[in-house]
Amino acid sequence: MNEQLQMLVALQDLDLMIREAKDPERANREEELGFPLDGVVKLERTRERLAKQLDERLLQMYERMSRRYARVVVPVEGSVCLGCFMGLPTAASHRRTSGTTVDNCENCGRILYRL
Amino acid sequence: MPTAPIAERKPATHLENHLRADLFIPELKAKKKLAVLEELTAHLAERKVTRHPEAVLEVLRQREALGSTGIGKGIAIPHGRSTMVAERAVLFARSSRGIDFEAADSLPVHLCFLIVAPPMEQDPIYLRLLADIVKSVRLARARQRLLEAPDFESVREILTASVARE
Ligand SMILES: [Zn+2]
Repeated sequence: MNEQLQMLVALQDLDLMIREAKDPERANREEELGFPLDGVVKLERTRERLAKQLDERLLQMYERMSRRYARVVVPVEGSVCLGCFMGLPTAASHRRTSGTTVDNCENCGRILYRL
Repeated sequence: MPTAPIAERKPATHLENHLRADLFIPELKAKKKLAVLEELTAHLAERKVTRHPEAVLEVLRQREALGSTGIGKGIAIPHGRSTMVAERAVLFARSSRGIDFEAADSLPVHLCFLIVAPPMEQDPIYLRLLADIVKSVRLARARQRLLEAPDFESVREILTASVARE
């Protein structure tokens, strides 16, 4: 996994964590169980820092797709994209969108990685 | 003669379904929080739960920044959802010495349950697992027995009984 993809994965995981911490119902349940969630601002700052380190085009691609999809970076298993569950021709699943360092699903555009 | 009804067996709890003998560390080597999280994720990688322990570690570090998962009484339940995990897993680890986990009550942590899961948007089982574990260690007696359990089968029995009791 290249460094850009690693950072993208970290960004996606962080976004999910922030989203859940800000969801009142979900946050309440965790707090009731005894887990305080008072560091959301800290996470948001980390998110900003991480975003700045990412390749700009890659970040834009991620931000654009996250408006449409809950998960932008998804695994490909065998030759199936686990974002849209479409089979990909082997060649296509390895094709790179010009100028970036990641593989995109030919069908849904999501960013692919091997789990 | 009518046969006695088969004793009703309660359906397995979520925690029971996730307990795995190969995800048990009887005695942690690490003594500090970050080192413990590293030891836990390395163990997950060894057991093929993830191929990217560093990505899982990053999630756990961020989760601790959100709020310590050391919930007091010697218990920590670090948990997080990672793109680099394919299925839910629970790892149970002990430290007889105790770990400084920045817990709410500042007490050293002796029992540590790690939960990892894939980043599905809707996963009610993930939170129920968390609730099951909190429940299972509520009683001081259960905590003591977990610390003294000689093997994983005993751990399994104690945890199963503790969750079912409530
Ligand atoms: Zn796709």
